[in-house]
Amino acid sequence: MDPLAAALKVAASGLSAQSERLRVVSENLANAQSTGETPGADAYRRKTITFSAELDRASGGSLVEIAGINRDRSDFPIEFMPGHEAADEKGFVKMPNVNVLLEMADMSEANRSYEANLQVIKQARDLISMTIDLMRGQ
Amino acid sequence: MEPVNLFQLAAQQSRWLGVRQSAVAGNVANANTPGYGTVDVEPFEKVLDNTAASLKTTQAGHLRGRTTQSGFALSQEDSSKSLLPSENSVVLETEMLKAGEIRRQFELNTAIVKAFHRMIMLSSKG
Repeated sequence: MDPLAAALKVAASGLSAQSERLRVVSENLANAQSTGETPGADAYRRKTITFSAELDRASGGSLVEIAGINRDRSDFPIEFMPGHEAADEKGFVKMPNVNVLLEMADMSEANRSYEANLQVIKQARDLISMTIDLMRGQ
Repeated sequence: MEPVNLFQLAAQQSRWLGVRQSAVAGNVANANTPGYGTVDVEPFEKVLDNTAASLKTTQAGHLRGRTTQSGFALSQEDSSKSLLPSENSVVLETEMLKAGEIRRQFELNTAIVKAFHRMIMLSSKG
């Protein structure tokens, strides 16, 4: 496989990995206030995503793939809201363990990595068209 | 036949640049992968020297170091020396710098090939 085509393939795998990460961030942000529905029920657990490198036999490049989407096992913060439908007998409600600031930081890092991959794709495309330009008549 | 082996040399360098670009692409794609060490290709001078010790294989199935199909050796940095807790040694800025270097070298390469091609065409067409 042509190494430049391999570069495009690898960068494309990076794009899809980062967009999946952005999806997880948006799920966490959207559910930052999602509590349970029965008294004392657990709220939404924050999702985490991990990546792993995978050697692509056809091209010799290391693709990136999603190793897994897991749940953050940390404790839920508790708020006192006696009228809430998920309040336990003492009036406490378990809130989701989503830290909005952390999600925002994660989002901008995903954004930055996505842009870096785009840059690589642009460059590989330019190199290929430079080579094709050699065949163009004067 | 060919007095200057320029076309062969240029083709070799453009293949090497292609492999380097795909190594950079791998590094950028794995910028957030835990335990990933930066990959780079052997320097082009080394490719030209052709002194890289290669093990003789008596059977096709024998293992060699990690090389690409185009025959350039790849080296992977030890990621455990990284300062980050994720043990990832990729620095995006360095990768962008490398990409700029690749682009400049590739531009030079194609420009020289183009100039030689023009010269040959000039002498053949008159």
